[in-house]
Amino acid sequence: MVIEENSGINRPVRTDKNMYFSMALLFVALALSGCGVSNVVIEGSFPTPNINKIPVAVAVYYDDALREFSYMEYSETGQEEFNIESGQSHMELFNAVLPAMFDRVIFVDSVEDARAEGVDAVFAPVIEEFQLALPTKTKLDVYEVWIKYNMRLLTLEGDYIADWILTSYGKTPTETFGSVVAGINEAAIVALRDLASSFSLSFGQVPEVRDWLSSLQS
Amino acid sequence: MNSYLDTTNQKPRDFLIVLLAIFASCTSTTVDEFRQGETGIESDESVVVLGRRQASDYETRSEFVECVGERMTRGTGAISIVPERQFIDSMFPWFEPRTAPLRTRDLELLMTEDVVARKMDEFGIRYIVWLDGVTETRDRAGSLSCAIAPGGGACFGGLTWEDDANFTAMVWDVGSLATVGTISADATGQSFMPALVVPIPLIARVEANACQRLADQLKQFVNGI
Repeated sequence: MVIEENSGINRPVRTDKNMYFSMALLFVALALSGCGVSNVVIEGSFPTPNINKIPVAVAVYYDDALREFSYMEYSETGQEEFNIESGQSHMELFNAVLPAMFDRVIFVDSVEDARAEGVDAVFAPVIEEFQLALPTKTKLDVYEVWIKYNMRLLTLEGDYIADWILTSYGKTPTETFGSVVAGINEAAIVALRDLASSFSLSFGQVPEVRDWLSSLQS
Repeated sequence: MNSYLDTTNQKPRDFLIVLLAIFASCTSTTVDEFRQGETGIESDESVVVLGRRQASDYETRSEFVECVGERMTRGTGAISIVPERQFIDSMFPWFEPRTAPLRTRDLELLMTEDVVARKMDEFGIRYIVWLDGVTETRDRAGSLSCAIAPGGGACFGGLTWEDDANFTAMVWDVGSLATVGTISADATGQSFMPALVVPIPLIARVEANACQRLADQLKQFVNGI
């Protein structure tokens, strides 16, 4: 520790090398904290749809790509910025929606496992694309999320009954003191709810599904 | 000596109070009502206030919707309000941004779904109020500089901006499946943030004023006054 005398005002001024070192360390830590990737795990709750059930038994299979789905958003300079993990929330969404849509729903670890369960079909959703739009890039006061799915309805032999594309969209306004992570999470939850609403309401209108349902009834 | 000290302490405080009073009143609100049908509500009936979220570049904030609904439950002629989140979750997936009815004709079709009609009955919904709007900030001017040092920090300068809250409430009668009226509220106000060491935000409460005036007008409208 060094004590210096300031002759101008006759007041001792203390300069501490440890203090400067601590401040430098803090500055470096703050600078580095702005460079890392932020991990965003999408979390939310999903209501049970208030719809009429379709009288079929369906096995649901989530592959590893869906279970562990994550999307990396890069900054304008090409650096990793946000890693968005939404696999778990997708499964939670389907787990809430599908039992309300069908008479009987079971969850299986493989398409082969469904054969022993005596179900009518196997539902295996796939996330094809995930897009994020941040206010800093779009200059709009909203966070936006787009997700593109390939919905697959399979026979117990693994053949396609129906295979259709579904897109979902969610946005949420920026808050004055809201965090970016909270904004992304909220927009993703709105997109997941959008998926649930369009999927549950349009399922019976997909031509191949409609034909399949008619064939089951006849 | 004492009186001199008292005066110096009081003057800035009084000045600040006067400033706050002047700037806080810098908000003007206009409410317009367009009635298309008779209204009235029974004690066992309720109203749901919902925000429109179909626009691409903005969406009606749920906090504003909550504010209007909460205010309608207070005072003379208070109305039973079903909270927006509770209604939307119970009605899921029929009132999501992409599936919500945009016109009364869509509501008519929606009410043919037995699950929807049953839930509306359970809630006792007589009117659906659709709120659509946003608060925009414009005409920003001024500059504010802040500096921080180990010994402390200070800000100097000043900012000013104008807030414009523009909201429309469309009232649907669930009984007659028709639009019974539209009420709009437009509130504008100038906000200031002078800074002499410490920034002093003098915020025009435009959205709060729009909420208050719109809610009061809606309450009267629904009650048929």
